[in-house]
Amino acid sequence: MPDDILFSIRDLTVEYLTRAGSVKAVDDVNLNIRRGEILGLVGESGCGKSTLGKALMRLHTGPAQITAGELWFDGRDLMTLSDQEMPEVRGAEIGMVFQDPMTSLNPLQRILEHLTETIHAHEPEVSNSDARARAEELIERLGIRRERIMDYPHQMSGGMRQRVMISLALALKAKLVIADEPTTSLDVIVEAKFLDLLKELQQEFGLTILLITHNIGVVAEISNRVAVMYAAKMVEVGDVNDVFGQPKHPYTQGLLRSVPNIKLDSGELYKMAGAPPDLTHPPSGCRFHPRCPFVMDICGDEVPPLEPIEEGHLTACWLYSSVVKRPEKMHA
Amino acid sequence: MTALKERPPEIPSDITTWEVELQKVGLLRRILNARRWYGADWWFVTVSAVLVLVFIMIALFPSWFAPFQPATLVGPSFLAPGAYPPVPVLVVPNTSLVNSLKDLASPEGQPRPSISVVQGGNTAGALNDAAQQIDNQIKNEPGGLRLRPIIDRYPTVEEALQAVVDGRNNAAVIESTEYTSITAQYPTLREGQSISGGANTAGGFLLGTNDIGQDVLSRLLWGTRVALLIGFSSSVVALVLGVPLGLLAGFIGGTPDRLMSLLMDSMYAFPGLILAIAITAVLGPSVFNVIVAIAVLYIPTYYRIVRGQTLSVKEEVYVEAARSIGARSREILQRYIFPNVIPSVAIIFSVNVADAILTGAGLSFLGLGLPPTIADWGIDLARGQRFIQNAWWLITFPGLTIMLVVLAFTLMGEGLMEIFNPKLRER
Repeated sequence: MPDDILFSIRDLTVEYLTRAGSVKAVDDVNLNIRRGEILGLVGESGCGKSTLGKALMRLHTGPAQITAGELWFDGRDLMTLSDQEMPEVRGAEIGMVFQDPMTSLNPLQRILEHLTETIHAHEPEVSNSDARARAEELIERLGIRRERIMDYPHQMSGGMRQRVMISLALALKAKLVIADEPTTSLDVIVEAKFLDLLKELQQEFGLTILLITHNIGVVAEISNRVAVMYAAKMVEVGDVNDVFGQPKHPYTQGLLRSVPNIKLDSGELYKMAGAPPDLTHPPSGCRFHPRCPFVMDICGDEVPPLEPIEEGHLTACWLYSSVVKRPEKMHA
Repeated sequence: MTALKERPPEIPSDITTWEVELQKVGLLRRILNARRWYGADWWFVTVSAVLVLVFIMIALFPSWFAPFQPATLVGPSFLAPGAYPPVPVLVVPNTSLVNSLKDLASPEGQPRPSISVVQGGNTAGALNDAAQQIDNQIKNEPGGLRLRPIIDRYPTVEEALQAVVDGRNNAAVIESTEYTSITAQYPTLREGQSISGGANTAGGFLLGTNDIGQDVLSRLLWGTRVALLIGFSSSVVALVLGVPLGLLAGFIGGTPDRLMSLLMDSMYAFPGLILAIAITAVLGPSVFNVIVAIAVLYIPTYYRIVRGQTLSVKEEVYVEAARSIGARSREILQRYIFPNVIPSVAIIFSVNVADAILTGAGLSFLGLGLPPTIADWGIDLARGQRFIQNAWWLITFPGLTIMLVVLAFTLMGEGLMEIFNPKLRER
């Protein structure tokens, strides 16, 4: 594994075993997360991006199971760790920020207890006063007054709670922070502040952030690279300027055209034809082919591989495959 | 309304004003403001909490409140509430300086005082006992006084009194009620003190006496101890067993949960008292066995509540967030799920204590629970039931007490539920 890659996801499959049959929420996904980058993971609701985020920490319980794949993190495969070893990685090396800050903190614990608990879970030798000093320093750095550390979560606003969640990841200097739609429930002003903070922290602490969101604007604003998922498959990965500047996969193209834009000339917003597929019975071949404007014969038969088409820009589409001849009317 | 204007900007709009105010005050003010903040009937809680405290005090220190020991035979049987027992009193001539029995003592060698009594009844016996007691007291004191009265027995009250009027006897000892009815016929006589000095039965028996002459009030007060002991300990035992089982079953889920739930549901499906009867019938009568039987009865209650709450709490994002910071299962159960589940358990506890007291009384009423030597409301009820036609007080007061205790605990539980879980009201 090259040294600049912090987390390498290889052939990851996560299945939900339900009574209606098994559903692959993440299907054979490959993705590299580089050290010190902010990688945006975008896709529609239900495409498997949150499932992927949780799978990176093996947080799944109940019906969800990782059925295949390797999770190489900092030189070791997390899939080979036992259930007893896994909690040592969680929090200490990988932190997570959840979608809804209103419910992601224990309502019966003070902010201080959240932080010291995290510190003590991994560094039991730290004294209470040292842990408290660290916690106070940390939340002050995140723009919450020191005195507020004795508050309960309900006494804080959504933005503050989300900052507390970040501080939990920073308390142990986690190398990777998985932020699962961290700004969805915040208003735009708080969202902008939070994103600025995230970017600052990333530079200050050398954090690597996997930013899971369906908000294209957020990704464009702070990400270095972006990965696009569709129906449990990775369809396009690349530098944020490349992917949003010259989207290759027809799904990415459609996704970008359907983002509302103040400068948009036409009055009506672009709507992609069709609806996302039912994952209990996914379409054969390329999952996007029933909705794709450039559909070819091969698309319904064979799954396109995720291949580099330029330096650092990968896409899974037969249009760009060297195996298949491109049709004439590529850019309609 | 001023609070609304001053509301700090960081409080999100989905938290109402009263919820914010709620966090700033202590428990006492919450209870006092319960009506405004929760729409709860605070006086339910206050009145029932005071009642519960009183009952707990009585259970802890029954001797402070009860006039007698519960098992001692203190008076005549079947004395109605408030009625005075017949007290033997001294009747002396108006001119006599004698006021109490002790005043009749005379020095050794002098003629002994003679006292007239009525034949039959127990005044002669009581007089003998009282005189003996006084004599033992004074014979070692300086002055050499002794009290060894000559007791003359007469067939009727009139003859006994006439003997005093005629000067044949120094005094008469007559039951006070009898003397009061004919006092007008003997203007030359007056009533002295009671021969016992008015010690034990002077105040009468507030709630009457039972079939063997025990004080009903004292038995009720002492019975509180056993009732609360059974109520609290069986609820505590059920809680200590039911809560962890519910937590584990809900948290682990899967087959262990199903097996445990099947067992608990089948216990729950049993009619409660019948299960308790079966258990005590097998174990035999003792306080401990009653506690065991009732505890077994209530384990499923705690189990079901805690399991249900655990199932919902463990899906909360903060539990997942806890796992994402590396918390282990034990810590999650201990620090995240348990504290969020326990408030509902506390409320169930209070209602359960009431129910356990009722079940305990029911068991001893049926003669299954406690050994009959123990002062217990259920036993008193069962004993009094036989005399329901001529002694209503034997079953009325134990019945009322049971009702009052159960009502107090239930009201407190329900009131606390409204105060601590206002969302329940909205549903």
